[in-house]
Amino acid sequence: MTGYTVADLQEIDARCREIASADLGFDVPEVIYHLVRPEEVYFAAANGLPARYSSARWGAQFDAEYGRYQRGESRIYELIFNTSPVHAYLMEGNSLVAQTLVIAHCLGHGWVFEHNRWLGAVDRAIMPRVLAAAERIADYMSAHGRERVEDFLDACHAIAIHQPQAQLIRPAPTPEPDVREGPYDALFPDEVEAAKRRAEAERRELRRRFPREPEQDLLGFIERHARGLEDWQRDVMSIVHAEQGYFLPQLRTKLLNEGAAVLCHQEIVQRLFLPADRYWEYEALNSGVVAPHQGRVNPYNLGIAIMREIIRIATEPDDEERERWAWAGEVEPFEQVRTVLRTYDDEALLREFLTPKVCEECRLFAFEHLPRDPRRIRVSSREADAVREILIPQHSTFGIPRVEIVDADFRGRGELLLAHRHDGIGLDAEYACGTLAQVAALWGKPCTVETVKGREADTPTWFMGHPDGRAEELGERPS
Amino acid sequence: MAVVGDSGLPHDAGRRDALHHRERLRRKITEQLKERIGEEDIVAAGPDKRIRVPVKGTKRWQFILDRGKGGGVGQGEGEPGDVLGPPGDGERGSEAGTEPGEEIYEVWLDMEDVEEMLFAELELPRLRPRASADAEATNTIYDDIARKGPQLDKKATLRENLLRNAKMGHPALGGIEKPDLRYLSYRELPKPRHKAIIFLAMDVSGSMDAGRKRIARLFFYWCVQFLRRRYDQTELVFIAHTTEAREVTEHEFFNRMESGGTRVSSAFEAVLEIQHDRYPAEDWNIYVLHVSDGDNFAADNRRTIELVRRLTQFCSLVGYLEVDPRAGAGRHKLSAHYQKEIADLEGFVFAAAAEDRALWPALKRFFAKDRVEEIVR
Repeated sequence: MTGYTVADLQEIDARCREIASADLGFDVPEVIYHLVRPEEVYFAAANGLPARYSSARWGAQFDAEYGRYQRGESRIYELIFNTSPVHAYLMEGNSLVAQTLVIAHCLGHGWVFEHNRWLGAVDRAIMPRVLAAAERIADYMSAHGRERVEDFLDACHAIAIHQPQAQLIRPAPTPEPDVREGPYDALFPDEVEAAKRRAEAERRELRRRFPREPEQDLLGFIERHARGLEDWQRDVMSIVHAEQGYFLPQLRTKLLNEGAAVLCHQEIVQRLFLPADRYWEYEALNSGVVAPHQGRVNPYNLGIAIMREIIRIATEPDDEERERWAWAGEVEPFEQVRTVLRTYDDEALLREFLTPKVCEECRLFAFEHLPRDPRRIRVSSREADAVREILIPQHSTFGIPRVEIVDADFRGRGELLLAHRHDGIGLDAEYACGTLAQVAALWGKPCTVETVKGREADTPTWFMGHPDGRAEELGERPS
Repeated sequence: MAVVGDSGLPHDAGRRDALHHRERLRRKITEQLKERIGEEDIVAAGPDKRIRVPVKGTKRWQFILDRGKGGGVGQGEGEPGDVLGPPGDGERGSEAGTEPGEEIYEVWLDMEDVEEMLFAELELPRLRPRASADAEATNTIYDDIARKGPQLDKKATLRENLLRNAKMGHPALGGIEKPDLRYLSYRELPKPRHKAIIFLAMDVSGSMDAGRKRIARLFFYWCVQFLRRRYDQTELVFIAHTTEAREVTEHEFFNRMESGGTRVSSAFEAVLEIQHDRYPAEDWNIYVLHVSDGDNFAADNRRTIELVRRLTQFCSLVGYLEVDPRAGAGRHKLSAHYQKEIADLEGFVFAAAAEDRALWPALKRFFAKDRVEEIVR
């Protein structure tokens, strides 16, 4: 260790907690810190959860990220898990100032985990199940061969993310067609009879449609309804499905969560009154964390800018803002921050607080790729509206295309038909083919997706994958 | 509040998954190398050079939107209209599943590794212990550490114990518990200590044009690399033939060409003579590999087939590769006669290679691994 002991860290945690509670109103539940080797931090980061099942997928991520660490290109200071109690990993060998920043930062995350309604909705007691799942998958690997299980995991990982995102909103079921009785029915007995027969036929058609409503939960549906799966395969599917479900709320609260954590560490460290040399060390670290990323968006940078914007509106709003927010200028700023952190997700946060001031503060710009060299970009606008138009959708769907199962007995052959609910942009052809081959391997029969060609929203196209790994683009709807 | 020393993680988990990832990658590289063994830069590399191999097909599949042409949001300076460098720099800390996870590798490989990967799939068939060979046939290699297993690795166990104690604040050995235990895990590798003689016979007649010569030499090049690397007790005899056959040096074999007609039986006669004089069948596993374009003197075919029959009586393998860039070679070819007369002859294997890509399948046919079991039995 570098000049400090576990007792020192415990003392820091206690002091930070006092400040968080007294000055920010953050009463943070217990956080269990682990002081671990860099390798372990990077491995847990690659896994997403500690002690998760073994997979070459984590190995690939670990190799890439840990390699970057060893070359001095990246450094993870902390890793925190949304479990109950919250576990955080601190990296061995970091200076005491760095650990102070990290502990204060973790308290912000810890509070958000506990109080945000999206993050609180997940199964925070997931760890025992993660461990049990890891053991079962290890058993399957020794029973059926590691390679076979890995290939199956690959196929599951390909579509696991397609789960319903917002459980709070349920689409209404398709209404059954019916013929309403009218006052003049007696005048047109034949027509009424025909209409009734038609409605009856449509009803019957609707009732035997399977799935009855388009299914957003791809892996869940296949797990329940695919034939010819072995028990272990169904179990692997359910494991991947459940663990992915746990991660989805984190995707939708990334900005909010990091904004809160940075706010927390900045406010707390300010109040620790560090000696000058340590304070400068802290400032150097802090500005590294929140520095804007050239050509991309740093979630720490944008997150804290939005938190500061909320505080500014609460303390010194202009007239327009007073008009817009009843609480502007009327509320204790951290109380307003807490209110936002309790109920918002990133989409709501951006819709409400990605103001022109924030866009300017963060130097945000909208860009388009050069048609000839997609690796290069052209700045198209610095207007807040243009930035909002791109950034908000990115945070409502996380860039994941909406793909649903619409027919599980396609062409009357038990094939799967998926529909891409596009908004003008079709699926990437190469990836659609590769993914469909995986889906077909899981379903056991050919799978087709309906989408549009590139950016031509009016030109439908179809991709079909086969269980043997082949896949092709079809010019017309397969019949 | 608690600060604890240990992560509660298995310490080797990260390394294990990373190793497995690399192993999968290696397998993919091997698959691609097989397609490319005819390429000049691989052959020309020589045994101690390095080659660069792009690895395809390691994409992480998922549905993504049509790429490239769209836009996004970035941070930093620049006025509308300014063109900036690549957005971001690759796959930095991407969230699970939010970005297409394309993995592109360009790997530098030592030729030694390349050969190791490829030759792991090949084996001399029907290799039997001969009089002067060692009795022991496998090498047990302990080269990995596992958390379960039959044989305790005391050193690794003590190391884990020390590590764990140090993290709890007592950097000393003692109190070994279950999480400390480490085991050796091992592999058994065949130990090819059987003496073998391989006759490599090549048609160097005038009809072997540049394309045919090239494939013939590439085939023998890989044969020789494979045999030299994997078997330390093998001897090679090089035979060049037109209408006459003679034993040549390795250098001559790979570099000289002659003109004239083709009498395949001359090569087999030379094999029989040399074998009789120097390599008694009770001491040696005998292999014969012959490459020709199949344009044999019609009158010689009967004699050739008769000699093949005789050779198979005591040889572990008689192999024939017909190199002919023209597809569907025709019924006058030697392969057509073999097909008609001795297609089912035990110990005789023939194949055709019209292009570079057929080289690997041909090598696989002659040096197939899975066949060993059924024939040795």
